[in-house]
Amino acid sequence: MPLLEAEGLTAGYGDSEILHDVHLRVDEGEIVALIGPNGAGKSTLMKAIFGLVTPRHGSIRFRGKEIAGHTPYNIVKEGLCYVPQVANVFTQLTAEENLDMGGYLLDESALPERKERVYALFPKLRERRHQRVGKMSGGERQMVAIGSALMLDPALLLLDEPSAGLSPKLVDEIFANIEHINATGLAILMVEQNARKALAMATRGYVLASGQNRVDGPGQALLDDPEVGRLYLGG
Amino acid sequence: MATPTHEERETPTAVTRTARPGERARALVQSRAFLLLAIAVVLAVLVVIAQVRGVGAERLLSLAAWGVMLGGIIGLGSIGLTLVYGVLKFPNFSHGALVTLGAYFTFTIIAWLPQGEPLTPLSFGWEFPVALLIAMPLVGVVAMAVDRVVYRRLRRQNAHLVLFAMASLAMAFFLRSLIYIAWGPDFHFYYPGRPNPALTLPFNIRVRADQLFILALALVLMLGVYALLERTRIGKAMRATADNPELAQVRGINTERVIAWTWIIGGALAAAGGTMYGLSSQLRPEMGFWLLLPMFAATIMGGIGNPYGALAGALIIGVTHQVTTAFLSPTYGPAVAFVLMVIVLLVRPQGLFGRSGG
Repeated sequence: MPLLEAEGLTAGYGDSEILHDVHLRVDEGEIVALIGPNGAGKSTLMKAIFGLVTPRHGSIRFRGKEIAGHTPYNIVKEGLCYVPQVANVFTQLTAEENLDMGGYLLDESALPERKERVYALFPKLRERRHQRVGKMSGGERQMVAIGSALMLDPALLLLDEPSAGLSPKLVDEIFANIEHINATGLAILMVEQNARKALAMATRGYVLASGQNRVDGPGQALLDDPEVGRLYLGG
Repeated sequence: MATPTHEERETPTAVTRTARPGERARALVQSRAFLLLAIAVVLAVLVVIAQVRGVGAERLLSLAAWGVMLGGIIGLGSIGLTLVYGVLKFPNFSHGALVTLGAYFTFTIIAWLPQGEPLTPLSFGWEFPVALLIAMPLVGVVAMAVDRVVYRRLRRQNAHLVLFAMASLAMAFFLRSLIYIAWGPDFHFYYPGRPNPALTLPFNIRVRADQLFILALALVLMLGVYALLERTRIGKAMRATADNPELAQVRGINTERVIAWTWIIGGALAAAGGTMYGLSSQLRPEMGFWLLLPMFAATIMGGIGNPYGALAGALIIGVTHQVTTAFLSPTYGPAVAFVLMVIVLLVRPQGLFGRSGG
């Protein structure tokens, strides 16, 4: 059984329809990259999966259970966590308080151990845990955002452009972290502007354009596909 | 090839970095220090006027002490106002009605309880704090119920914030009418005719024991709010929801539940403020309505959405308000709050502790 499976998904805001009949699948342990030009509907697809945009048609099943149209805080309980592209941290709270909020659904006694795991992954956060996140750098904020999403020990992590706005060195660091997280058995679905790097480490990739599926296949196959290269990877 | 465009892009930032004299002056005027200075100047002017009018230093000190107490009362109301604003982003004009309701609930509960001997030097017996402790959660539940019936519906329809504000104004009149129906238009006293002589403290400050009780209670409740927001899970969730409601949901926080708690806590504190106000003067159906302006002034002064700022603003307004009564009729009190609010809005609209650039 696939971990996440979306079929015939149609969604949008107000009168405009952004996604048309989109399908997507993530299996256990995979990294799936979602690429495509700006305005292709990648972020909308993430939001639709997570209940922030209510799907109009189609189904989204997580471990076989229908979650389309559920509220975000109910979807979180199923073992799905999401890191939005922007505004993905509580800037008025400290790093540690952000992690506490990431583990809001946990019993309070489980928090210290989970926080330790995040600090082991991002040692920098341990040093700065009592600092307000609003005063942190972009890279540190991204660590807080991903760390918060890991607090519930999800089965699938949704990352929307984890490398956006980071310096090249930090991009490599974040990607290395993502691969490391994936190696612990967590499946990852990520939207990435850095399409080549994302496909290089992805098990499979989907190309989305104008709200529709264009191509999908193993990450390396998409990288080798001249058509994909010309149209979506900048030649 | 890419270098020239790079330079072009950098030039405008370079211009803004080297601030022109005019901009530097504006930045200075908008700084927190300048606002504090402006407030201090207003206070100093008031003190000088009082001196000229022949008001003694001891009387001024006593007035300042009462001002701190009044600030405590205003602060209790402002915290609810600012918490609701932080989480729901609309100014709740019916908050004054919750203040009044709290005062009257305490009044009625006292009548039901057996009357104890006055706890001298205080003017009231044990039944007063007990009634207050019952009235606080009751008003909290009323506030939450209003949210369920009115504001939650608007939230579900994604209504414009102006509609929320208008609905809260309607609720203000509705609740006030209910208070008129239930308790009538007459003034009430918790303990009519009971003496509460002033005590003399060091520096010849004269305050009544009741006023000290009010101040102590306000302090305890504010420490409670601090502990709640900083130490408890629901408090942190309230701050998180105020910061970013969508992310709060994504992190698994049931924001509707957080909103309910925000109303309960805000309503309970309003009830405490109203009861304290009633104890320091008398109960009138309009009492909360008249506190609304100083409460909003305190909230704006401290930076909307910031509970600690609201408290600081309330203290400043309370003291200014009382010191003015040394030479002006107390009926002009609201004007003082209004003047301070306008100064803040002109100089630094984000308030003392607000985020810059707001």
